[in-house]
Amino acid sequence: MSYAYLFKYIIIGDTGVGKSCLLLQFTDKRFQPVHDLTIGVEFGARMITIDGKQIKLQIWDTAGQEAFRSITRSYYRGAAGALLVYDITRRETFNHLTTWLEDARQHSNSNMVIMLIGNKSDLDSRREVKKEEGEAFAREHGLVFMETSARTAANVEEAFINTAKEIYEKIQEGVFDINNEANGIKIGQQHSPTNPSLPGAGNQGGSTSSGCC
Amino acid sequence: MRQKSGGASFVCVQLLQTLNILFENIRNETSLYYLLSNNHVNSIIVHKFDFSDEDVMGYYILFLKTLSLKLNTHTIHFFYNEHTNDFPLYTEAIKFFNHPESMVRIAVRTISLNVYKVQNPSMLQFIRDKTAAPYFSNLVWFIGKHILELDTCVRTDVDHQSQSRLSNLVAEHLDHLHYLNDILCLDIVDLNAVLTEHLLHKLFVPLYIFSLTPAPPLSMAVVTQNLAAVLNKVVNIDMQEMSNPRVSAVVALYLLSLVFLVITHGPLVHSLAWVILNADHSVFKEGAAEVLNAYIERREVVALGFEQPRESLEEALDTVVGSSSSSLENRSMGGESSSGSSSRDTSQSRSVTEQVEKVNITDEEKEKLRQMEDTSLSGGVDTNRPFLDMVLASLDCTENDYIALLALCLLYALANNKGVSPEWLEQVLSKPAKSSTRYNTVLVERLLHIISLTSQPSCRIRLITLEITLSLLSRFARTSSGDFILTELQQSVLFSARNQAMTILRNFYKSEDIFLDLFENEFTEMSKSPLNVEFLCMDSAILLPPTGTPLTGINFTRRLPCGEVEKARRAIRVFSLLRKICQEYLSEEEVLLPLTNPSNCVQVDNILDLNNSDLIACTVVTKDVTKYRRFLVIDTLQLILVEPDPKRLGWGISKFVGFLQDVEVVGDKDDSRCLHITVHRGGVSNNRTPILSAKFLFDDHIRCMAAKQRLTKGRSKARQKKMYQIAQLLEIPGQMIEPPIYPISGVRTASTSRLPREHRPLFSTANRVPGFAAALRRESMPSGSVSRVQMAPNRSIVGIRNENTQRRRRSSNTSSTSSSNGSSTTRERSPAHRSPRRQESPRNNSPRSRDNSPRVPRPRSEEIPLEDFQHSRNSSPIARGSPSSNTPSRSHTPSRVLCDPISISPRLTSGTSDMNSLAPNGVSVMIAKEAAMNSEETSFIAREEKEKRRGGVETV
Repeated sequence: MSYAYLFKYIIIGDTGVGKSCLLLQFTDKRFQPVHDLTIGVEFGARMITIDGKQIKLQIWDTAGQEAFRSITRSYYRGAAGALLVYDITRRETFNHLTTWLEDARQHSNSNMVIMLIGNKSDLDSRREVKKEEGEAFAREHGLVFMETSARTAANVEEAFINTAKEIYEKIQEGVFDINNEANGIKIGQQHSPTNPSLPGAGNQGGSTSSGCC
Repeated sequence: MRQKSGGASFVCVQLLQTLNILFENIRNETSLYYLLSNNHVNSIIVHKFDFSDEDVMGYYILFLKTLSLKLNTHTIHFFYNEHTNDFPLYTEAIKFFNHPESMVRIAVRTISLNVYKVQNPSMLQFIRDKTAAPYFSNLVWFIGKHILELDTCVRTDVDHQSQSRLSNLVAEHLDHLHYLNDILCLDIVDLNAVLTEHLLHKLFVPLYIFSLTPAPPLSMAVVTQNLAAVLNKVVNIDMQEMSNPRVSAVVALYLLSLVFLVITHGPLVHSLAWVILNADHSVFKEGAAEVLNAYIERREVVALGFEQPRESLEEALDTVVGSSSSSLENRSMGGESSSGSSSRDTSQSRSVTEQVEKVNITDEEKEKLRQMEDTSLSGGVDTNRPFLDMVLASLDCTENDYIALLALCLLYALANNKGVSPEWLEQVLSKPAKSSTRYNTVLVERLLHIISLTSQPSCRIRLITLEITLSLLSRFARTSSGDFILTELQQSVLFSARNQAMTILRNFYKSEDIFLDLFENEFTEMSKSPLNVEFLCMDSAILLPPTGTPLTGINFTRRLPCGEVEKARRAIRVFSLLRKICQEYLSEEEVLLPLTNPSNCVQVDNILDLNNSDLIACTVVTKDVTKYRRFLVIDTLQLILVEPDPKRLGWGISKFVGFLQDVEVVGDKDDSRCLHITVHRGGVSNNRTPILSAKFLFDDHIRCMAAKQRLTKGRSKARQKKMYQIAQLLEIPGQMIEPPIYPISGVRTASTSRLPREHRPLFSTANRVPGFAAALRRESMPSGSVSRVQMAPNRSIVGIRNENTQRRRRSSNTSSTSSSNGSSTTRERSPAHRSPRRQESPRNNSPRSRDNSPRVPRPRSEEIPLEDFQHSRNSSPIARGSPSSNTPSRSHTPSRVLCDPISISPRLTSGTSDMNSLAPNGVSVMIAKEAAMNSEETSFIAREEKEKRRGGVETV
């Protein structure tokens, strides 16, 4: 169970968009077909491999954060990646994305990788939000976009892994200060510091999207 | 269950996960009760899992959180056992309050808040009596340790090397503060009392306030003590005080600001404010007990001092949990931090509701407080307030504004905290300081000093400092009715600072090509992001010495300017800020800014009367190869694309608008009828894609050239016009009638008299003046009613101009004759004569003809078509010197236009001479004519009509 890095994730979005189903599909490869049942637990962990390195993804449950400002703040700040999920069969969940994103941007550190996910892509007949709309929203706000289905497992792996890849790239670029756990990244025991983050932190304040010059 | 979970970790994980899902999905209350009964759940909670395993830890704490979300007044009984004083869910959870994993800490906070939220008196009683003191003392100690770490980081990081670490520490501290605030906001009286006490006496006073005043030099104390030993006398030096941990004054001020920004709990913030504003060093011995007494009847006695709790939280909890009242004796001996619990037990009989009334600050109590302060005042006691003095002394920015900014933040936070009564603050500040001047006078004077320093060239004060200073000035230099109270002297300081800032900004006027863009950007930026001290204080960068380099990634307003452009930006901002406060002071309204009044601009889908406007038909081809047929209209400030209004003849609907100043026009090498037009987004925004980037196809190359010229010139004119407006704003000599002493009033009277549209880009600066002749012609048109301000520079520069003006005024209708006569005299000369003449008389040195070719008349011939269509609406034909009536008529024939003897014919003469010499110029003259004709058009022209017109031109 040793790993090079541990990335902490949070999953955000309206209730009923399938956040916990996504998670369960990813961590346990299970799906509960029972209607009207929320699993409601958004905690889990799984090992993946990126660039030959073992990386542990740990997804933390944020339930109960709405009531207290301090909790919202802390959750966002403590995560390296966030999956922002909406339901393609319910327009209102898409409309609320702006609020979620504002919250995330306000509280998180600027390096947090946010991936936009349109879930329930298997229910194409009941679709209310076009794929193009999701793409446009993502483009406008600088997010990565993907449509997934927790039921068929389509794109679920990819969603989590692509986010991890992006975080990993940012570590390579030295954007993330990996020596600081507050970023939602932890270095595993076996990891030798072959990629120490740049001490200068000169590119720290730059925009999220800016790569190496 | 125990056996199972004792096995491999994945069994535990599976068990906890399943339980989680189970509890999450129970809807039926009865089944929930069934699951919770018989203490099964509690036995799982207290089970010692292998918490070193990340996953087990995660699922365990999540399980507790899930349960805490199920808490309500009914379910609480399954978790809290009144008889055995047992509440494992809570006590087990808070043991992890300092867990290395941040997500676990967050979960613990959530659980604790969920628990406090349940309105169960006996449970809260338990929490307060058995756990509050140990939990809060440990929490406070933990926060304090964190702060020491932060302080070390600030001390060692002068060069902004570990900014990310520092900002994480700050963010973490803010998390703590918000957590404390969330607890306090739940308004549980007893809990708040304990927490307030701990925060004040264990952290805020002994660490923050103590650090405000410099440490007495240790050597001195040692010497004194040695001396005392020698003399065999007892000298009361508190050596312990010397060894207390302290943080740097910068950090202390910053942390106090954060407290006042985040926490609003009245008793806490008021007491803290009282200590800062009133207390002296004795507070370290006595504590803020007296003040707090006014709020909290039954205070616990918590010894003052930032020290580690004697017991660790776990030990303390172990003693409490599962023990009956017999353990209380042990506990009271256990340590100061928990000594309160026994005394509390004796008075348990009081009901909570009773206490609620007690703690609420009544008016009576406020009065008591006031009296207390008043007596100390009238008693003539020389009030010694080292902390307030220190805060005020920090406002000195002579060297830099490092500490001053933080002191300002503190004052701002104090003044804006809801828990601090403004009247009380007022009262405290109106007490005399040492030098018998009142504190608020001292404060205002300090603020004004910062302002006047900021207006000096090459000062070391950041913009944000000025912003807060100004906001504090308008807060503290006002009477309760909102009027400013400044002495003559203070007033003159304020205004001379503004004038100084203006002088500095004048140096940048024109020196940068992009001055106009800079000016408008800064203006929009400033109005877009008003001062937000809370956001400012989330930025750890202000904890480090101010720096100039943008390489640190620090926001522009929070560092010093770097390079000429940034200096110009800074000068713009300083001036705008000072101008604003001066206007506020004089209670005047802004009339000159923003430079573009949006209400005067055409919006998309406006329906416009285009009779008498210049319209150029074109086809717009966008990048995705969609084509639109549109008419191009060039207003004074805007480029407008319209399509005909199907309902009214001669009217059009605007389909696109863009500012001329942001237009970029490029011709097409391969197609002479084609222009590539890009309209950029004005101002700084994240979105750098232009609002329009398209190919414009015109009917022929003549129209194409005309459009190009007008766009290019429209752009430069729009810019000139705005530069002129800025010149007015800056009262650049030659632009004003006279520099008034407090110049705003001067500007105002002059400017209110006319509409913003009316000041045309005539003489944007003194060196533009040579463009005068052309300008005069424009002015001669009745539509551009001449304002005094506009004429003022003329008077000051060339005497003749005044004559011209007067002449023009006398006969507005014939004036165009006189002026065009004037211009025609120059034009009638052959091109060869022109350049020498230009040297003789500056009037000919038209700024619009950049190259000294005989193109001089060309731009002039453009004058008429450039008239914006709105004006032409009011004053159409007469304005152009056309003999026709106002009524729109289609019957205008090209020949008639050409016959116009006054304005067109001189141009024709010069045009023909040019045509002989230079082919392109001939073209331009034709365009000029065409344009002139267009200007005469009174309705949308059909294509045939156009053809006819063109034919007319060709005949000439």
